[in-house]
Amino acid sequence: MNSRERVHLVLNHQEPDCVPVDLGGSATSGMHVSSVYLLRQALGLDEPGTPVKVIEPYQMLGEIKPDLIEALGIDVVGISSLKTLFGFKNEDWKPWTTFDGTPVLVPGVFNTDPEPSGDILQYPEGDKSAPPSGRMPQGGWYFDAIIRQPPLDEDNLNIEDNLEEFGPTSEEELAHFGREAKRLYEETDKAILANFGGTAFGDIALVPAPWMKYPKGIRDVTEWYISTVARRDYVYKIFEYQCDIALENLAKIYEVVGNRVTVVFATGTDFGAQNGPFISTQTYRELYKPFHIRVNNWIHKNTQWKSFIHTCGSVRSLLPDFIDDGFDILNPVQTSAAHMDPLELKREFGGEITFWGGGIDTQRILPFGTPVEVRQDVHERFRIFAPGGGFVFNSIHNIQAGVPTENLLALYEAVKEYRNYPIT
Amino acid sequence: MSTIIENINKSIILGDYKSITPLVEQALAEGIDASTILNSALIPPMNEVGGRFERGEYFVPEMLMAARAMQTGLKILKPLLVESGTKPLGRVAIGTVKGDLHDIGKGLVAIMLEGVGLEIIDLGTDVSPAQFVGAIPSDVGIVAMSALLTTTMTQMKVVIEALSEAGVRERVKVMVGGAPVTQAFANEIGADGYAPDAGAAARLAKHLLGID
Repeated sequence: MNSRERVHLVLNHQEPDCVPVDLGGSATSGMHVSSVYLLRQALGLDEPGTPVKVIEPYQMLGEIKPDLIEALGIDVVGISSLKTLFGFKNEDWKPWTTFDGTPVLVPGVFNTDPEPSGDILQYPEGDKSAPPSGRMPQGGWYFDAIIRQPPLDEDNLNIEDNLEEFGPTSEEELAHFGREAKRLYEETDKAILANFGGTAFGDIALVPAPWMKYPKGIRDVTEWYISTVARRDYVYKIFEYQCDIALENLAKIYEVVGNRVTVVFATGTDFGAQNGPFISTQTYRELYKPFHIRVNNWIHKNTQWKSFIHTCGSVRSLLPDFIDDGFDILNPVQTSAAHMDPLELKREFGGEITFWGGGIDTQRILPFGTPVEVRQDVHERFRIFAPGGGFVFNSIHNIQAGVPTENLLALYEAVKEYRNYPIT
Repeated sequence: MSTIIENINKSIILGDYKSITPLVEQALAEGIDASTILNSALIPPMNEVGGRFERGEYFVPEMLMAARAMQTGLKILKPLLVESGTKPLGRVAIGTVKGDLHDIGKGLVAIMLEGVGLEIIDLGTDVSPAQFVGAIPSDVGIVAMSALLTTTMTQMKVVIEALSEAGVRERVKVMVGGAPVTQAFANEIGADGYAPDAGAAARLAKHLLGID
């Protein structure tokens, strides 16, 4: 049985030979470059000092190369858009060293000149004549968006200002999606997880638009959250137009990628915080649900893709809606958040949605626990989530920097040991 | 309670931040003094909002709207309160720890603390241990630290150590919060308190200062 068949079976809630594993299939199921470096070194895949490519500069995710995929028994590969969140392409690689001393390769226009404070700023499209859009504080590990909120004229809000980033998928991008889908389908036996963009409604990571030089409309994070209640009609109209555009794009994309893609990363909008949902169920139903239904209905009517929703945090109260809206997969299954007990989630929702994540607690056990605790946690997660299929092993969100090497090794050793059906 | 005070209360609870300025101005015009407006019109509704959030009746957008409404009112009252010599119940230095730029949660906690009558020195994000220590001489009773990341939460311990080294640890209470932070972690690093959300943080701060 190959990886693609394995993923296919669990997504249809059947048990294959072993639980499929994802690492690096998406920007929410990967690993920080510092941890990738440590893991590659520990596995003897590289000579000391061999840099790792930063394939997602905003979160500083490291490249999961085929040799690492084979070493860890990974079953999923990803397709993402041509440009990064900062609007530049991953090309013209140059060396850099992160604040924690990790040797890395970054795209040619990735800014490596520190500010007087020591912070590293990034510029949209790498254009230093534009205001910076991302900041990594001195000693930090990631970038955060620099909010560039133009003054709001309350009486003259124009939804087109918030729609600038949603347009027809370019020919270049379409060719890229088509080429990548064909290459990965033919050259690997992995399941393809594709993020085509455009179908996430109100994703707070995207609202500040760090790839745009002069974003207009509502771009401030607080202002956006307030707008979901105080200017609901405005936000609804943005979503309505965005959805129309997205469905046209999906049709074009489907023409070039077909059913080579197994899973589509439909949305990464976070609906959960640590202790409860970000928004009320009523807000969800009024503002987001109609568009999730439209996107998922299109997908299920026209393709064989499975639809993937990423949302962090405590979202148990919204799960029945997600299922009802046609999502097939939940990621990252943040069991460390309130009301997200793995056993209860599996019992209540396991028959209707696939858990893509929840494999190891990345807030406490993986960074701060012992290797023994890591192994125990992984073992327990397999026991809970794997029976009957409906589980793709992945850590809860990206594995961050600062994880001890012995814990990284314990994690993947435990995965190898416990992933086989029947689960014991 | 006078009608105008009731109206301000209602506007804050509903997060109707646009109506606050005229209402507070009207209250002042009616001769109600700034400190009464603060204590009867701005603070009680924030307690109510915090309670609704804890009970799962209010969510992040509603909290942000109420906070903006309260701040709008406070901005008008502040110079008048200073003028009349009204003393805050206590002073809190708050910040997101070094390496961490996340401030929505920290901002909400700051506003809730303000909402129970405390004065806030907001040190911002990416705050170094030296900056936290540097804030102590300004009569600070509480140091409040926030972190969203597992990679930065360990900085909280560094700050507590820095407070000890500077010989000021005993002069202040330390409270911590943020997504990955727990009571167990707070105990482990020697913090005086942990709160899971902004409403609880406001109660904790009052408790730590002995004014609850």
